[in-house]
Formats: sequence, C-alpha cells, structure tokens
Amino acid sequence: MTVDSFKFLPGSIAAYYRNLPVQREEPVPFTPLAKPLAACRFSLVTTAAVHQVGKEPPFDTEREKLEPFWGDPTFRRIPREVRQEEIGACHLHTNNRDILLDVNVALPVHRFLELEAEGAIGSLAPTSYSFMGYQMDTAEWRQRYAPEAAALMRDEGVDAVLLTPF
Amino acid sequence: MPVLARTFEEAGLSTVLVTVMPYWAERLGVPRTIGVEFPYGHPLGRPGDSDTQMGIIREALRLLEEATGPGEIRELDYAWPQELDEAKKDWQPLEPSPIIRMMIEQRKAQRQQKEGS
Repeated sequence: MTVDSFKFLPGSIAAYYRNLPVQREEPVPFTPLAKPLAACRFSLVTTAAVHQVGKEPPFDTEREKLEPFWGDPTFRRIPREVRQEEIGACHLHTNNRDILLDVNVALPVHRFLELEAEGAIGSLAPTSYSFMGYQMDTAEWRQRYAPEAAALMRDEGVDAVLLTPF
Repeated sequence: MPVLARTFEEAGLSTVLVTVMPYWAERLGVPRTIGVEFPYGHPLGRPGDSDTQMGIIREALRLLEEATGPGEIRELDYAWPQELDEAKKDWQPLEPSPIIRMMIEQRKAQRQQKEGS
C-alpha cells in the first residue's frame, strides 16, 4: 500500500493498532450498484459524532467520561438542508475545530447537493447519518443501530452510501 | 466503521468508504475503499477546500461504478500540506480522551507504587 495509515499517529497508538488481533470475516458482502450514478439516491454516513444543534441531542459523552471503555453507539440524523452553523460536534478523541468550520471535511452534504444539481448523481436523500466512532465493542452497531439506519435509508429510497470514518 | 459498511451492504445498499486508515479496510474486509493519507478527522481534506473534497468524492463514485467484486482498495495521491510534527498534534483533542486519561493515571500510579516500594 502506498498510503501510510499510521503516518499521523503517535508511536504508542500505532503499535497498539498493529498488534490488535482482528479477524477478517469472509465473504465480504457486495451489492453491485443497481443503476447508473445519475439515477442513484445517496445517503452519507460519518463517525464524526456531529449532530444538528437544537433538533437532536449531542452524543452521551458524560457516560464515556465515567466509563472510558464505553462509547455511545446511537446515531443522529442530519437533514440535507442542514446549515453549517447548526452543526455540533462532541467526539472526545479528535480535535473538532475543522468539522465545526466545515462539515464537508467528513459529512459532505453540500458537495452532494452540488453533484445533484449538476446531474452527476440522482439525488441526495433527505437524511444522512452521524455515529460516534469510538466503539471498543461493535455488537450494538451490528445488531441494532446499523440495521436501524439501513431501514431508514431504504424507507427514503437510498441506493448507495458514502461512508467516512473520522 | 468497516462494520457499518458491511452491515449496510448486507442490507442491499452499495457502499464506498473513504478512509485515512485503509489498513483496517484491508484487515477487516470492506466492500469498496478509497484510501487517503490525511490525519484523523479529515477524510475529505481541509475545511473550505471544496476542490479536494469534490475530487475525492468523484473518485469514490467512480469506484462505486467500476467495482466488480468486494474488497477493492484504491489509494489516492493527495499530500497533506502541514508539517508532519504539527499535523501529528493538530488532529488530537485538546484534552486527552477518557481512555487515554485513564491510562496516563494508571501509569502514574504504577510509577508511584514502584518508587514507594
């Protein structure tokens, strides 16, 4: 690989990651794109822990402070009309300055509205989704929250999803 | 996040992941991946840099269209403009996260115990 995944990490964290035992489950699922891009409806999903201020609550960081191995597994909905000044961010494992300046560094709603306007994609769905990426145990994501988000996407006619881990 | 990509894909959605850690995509298995060498918190680049954001998104769309089977990883050539030492610090939270704080405190307690014994 040419991209060095550890370039910007402190040595101790990089070493920890390299030594984590992980199991690749086969087969890797694959759903071919069913339509041309210009006919596809997209939703966006990030793990940046952003929320729409005043509409939905922020992620539960108080519990994480008391239980450092726990991370809030729920998700927040971000509407396509969201304005930058409505974006809140509370990820405790990153500096949130840049996403508070421009949500498109991780949840590119405004870029996708431009792609929709130029006809490169069919449409951006009414709703995009934000999770909080610090999850030591992904069981709740797998069993509950990811299927819930997928069902909401299907209700909105979504064909394809851009995911951006934070 | 590979878990989310895989679960959505299993639910019948076509997904593409844009990540600064393609290492995990390779080890865990992700349907389609674009890798960029950027610091955490910046999968699509810097704030206000809509050209780079759009350039990466267009590559992701192309991969969605062209992939014929699972597991493809395409790496892009964008360079991060900050000095490395500065970039390594800049993405990190202003205060240590709860888990890092706990580890620091544990190490301190171990050291004190050793010095006391």
